[in-house]
Amino acid sequence: MEQQSVIIIRYAEIYLKKKNRGYFERIFRNNIEAVLKAIPHKLTTAAGRYYVENFAEEDIDRLIDALKKVFGIHTMSIGRRVKSDMDEIYRAAAALCREEGSFKVETHRADKTFPLNSMEISRAIGGRLLAAKKNLTVDVHTPDFYVYLDLREDGTTLVFSEFFAGAGGMPVGTAGKGLLMLSGGIDSPVAGHMMAKRGMHVHCLHFHSYPYTNMQAKEKVEELAKILSPYTCGTRLYCVSVTHIQEEIHRKCAEELMVTLLRRFMFRIAEIVAQRHGIQCLITGESLGQVASQTIEGMTSSNSVVKKLPVLRPLVGFDKNEIIERSRAMGAYDISIQPFEDCCTVFLPRHPAIRPALDYIEAEEAKIDVYGLLEEALKTIEKIDF
Amino acid sequence: MKIYLDNAATTRPNGRAVQRAMRWTEERWFNPSGLYREGLEVRADLKEARTYLCSRLGDPAEISLVFTACGSEADNQALFSFARRGNLVISGGEHAAIFAAASELKNRGIELRVAPLNGDGSVNEEGLLSLVDDKTSLVSVIHVNNETGAVNDVNALAAAVKKRNPRLYFHSDGVQAFGKIPYKLGAAVDLYSVSAHKIGGLKGVGGLFARKKAYSVLHPYIYGGGQEDGKRSGTENTFGIMQFRFAAEAKFAALAEDYARIKGYRDSLREGLDQSIFTSVSPENGTPYILTVSAQGLRGETLLHLLDDNGLIVGTGSACSSNVKKRYSRVILACGRTEAEADGILRISFSPETTADEVASAIKILNGCAAELKKRMNL
Repeated sequence: MEQQSVIIIRYAEIYLKKKNRGYFERIFRNNIEAVLKAIPHKLTTAAGRYYVENFAEEDIDRLIDALKKVFGIHTMSIGRRVKSDMDEIYRAAAALCREEGSFKVETHRADKTFPLNSMEISRAIGGRLLAAKKNLTVDVHTPDFYVYLDLREDGTTLVFSEFFAGAGGMPVGTAGKGLLMLSGGIDSPVAGHMMAKRGMHVHCLHFHSYPYTNMQAKEKVEELAKILSPYTCGTRLYCVSVTHIQEEIHRKCAEELMVTLLRRFMFRIAEIVAQRHGIQCLITGESLGQVASQTIEGMTSSNSVVKKLPVLRPLVGFDKNEIIERSRAMGAYDISIQPFEDCCTVFLPRHPAIRPALDYIEAEEAKIDVYGLLEEALKTIEKIDF
Repeated sequence: MKIYLDNAATTRPNGRAVQRAMRWTEERWFNPSGLYREGLEVRADLKEARTYLCSRLGDPAEISLVFTACGSEADNQALFSFARRGNLVISGGEHAAIFAAASELKNRGIELRVAPLNGDGSVNEEGLLSLVDDKTSLVSVIHVNNETGAVNDVNALAAAVKKRNPRLYFHSDGVQAFGKIPYKLGAAVDLYSVSAHKIGGLKGVGGLFARKKAYSVLHPYIYGGGQEDGKRSGTENTFGIMQFRFAAEAKFAALAEDYARIKGYRDSLREGLDQSIFTSVSPENGTPYILTVSAQGLRGETLLHLLDDNGLIVGTGSACSSNVKKRYSRVILACGRTEAEADGILRISFSPETTADEVASAIKILNGCAAELKKRMNL
């Protein structure tokens, strides 16, 4: 009989949960099902592990790529599942085993009814492999590779030779919802990715200034939302026009405060959008001191308009190169660096205020109709699901 | 219906020419390289199209034509074929197809010399001549500048540069000229690139005209089955070529009449635009098909979006390069314009389909949107 491949999935921190582990496991399983739904397969679970089986061999890379985006997965292995029978186990081990180098067989025997103990199984299978492949040697301390045998209680054995890392973190959906302010740059998708990693379901909010910005800028943001989507089990992108707000600030307020005042509008809009849709916090890609508006004074000014929700800034202590590294790893970097202007650069002052005092900001803001502008901006909202 | 005034980017395909080519292709769909009767018939039709198109530029006995996939390919083939040693001289007003190909040749060790422009975008003749020496292998000067509409007298320029070095070859990019302005290929112009979709043809068809001597040494750019006399392999785009031929026939038949009518449109547009906002960059004696203006203090692209929302389609600079990171047009800056002027560039371009009513509406929309934007930006 042809032996079939199996993908073994092990979860990470869910182990720490006790009474509500079932809740976490259920969400975790749904998330795995969601990313794999386009590829025929069977997902089963037993004793805290998940097995993907009954798939076509040519789909294996697609399955692994999809699973690498599922938070909560600690490690994965590709192996074979066979009947717990020494000949069957040997056949699977021989198929997986390399032709040369040093190796060690490691056995885990959950099935205590099996006649041999784990040491005896390792020795027997190792001996047969050694006899069959003449360029192999045994090294029990620092082998080049391992052959793992896992005899399960259901009378089957999993045979595999590698562990590779999953995305880690917690299953998305177990830690509430956040609204990510997605600009089109490098930082914000990374911030969304990091919150999704902790189990948060992330939605996105983008501000544009058409006609001062172009449609490519918006398409770029849509691309970024699409990249973020599998990590966060689907995301909704909200787009709001801040054109008129920028024009009003430009007309009536101090030039150096353009960015500061605009950001206060953005945070106000974000909080309203979040509250209207049952989203519990705001997420930004700010990193302390990266640009003039991301000083502690800048953050104070933005935070002071957010009344109820926490503002999470997962990148606050990161260097740019650390952020870039993460952006590349999640596959957003090449899109993020496309040269389309987002809404911040059009009316950019020559010298933005770096440490504006709150009194000064509020006095300048009093020159414009904040609530009228907010209401008008919220009417421009568009939604796209990814 | 929106008003379309970005015809230098592309034109609507000539519908009658599409239908004629459609009927033709239903019968004559065979491979022109086929050795059976049907193949020979297709080949004969292509030959007739080739001869017809050559005859628009001069004596078809003296001029050959290689069909390519676009004007850019024709430009590239000319440069990579003839700028193989010594130095290559181009003007600062070349289309990206020449400029980028020349930059690549420079990377490969060919000395690149770029001639300065006059304020209107035409090449400075003295500057050009001073760059030519006995090591020059190719000179390439655009016929009608695609960004300003300035017309270079390429026949005279070719003759002048050849006085300095009779062995060099002279190429001109005629994409914005062919079928639009009266022109016969000068004796000193060896190579001339054209594109179908600027005169009612389809995207996917271009051509490189070559005088006999240049043709005999023209290298292929695409190698393969030896189509197009070995100068451009790949099965010919027969439908596209025939449609180009039919569209050109219509365009050339009305060339003089269109020229005069469109010149009227351009002049009335130039006069109708609010002079306190728009300055004309295009020269008076340029092609009537293009009017380039700079909107003071405004960004061309922002204005373009507003115009788009108000039913008018225009261009900003060269559409082929507007998504490149560099914000300002290399050609507009080479004309001696400031960055602020380059920022506000709009290119308005006509076709024979343009009507006087459309031009009148366009004036209103342009003035209205520019005034609105100025107000919104508090200028």
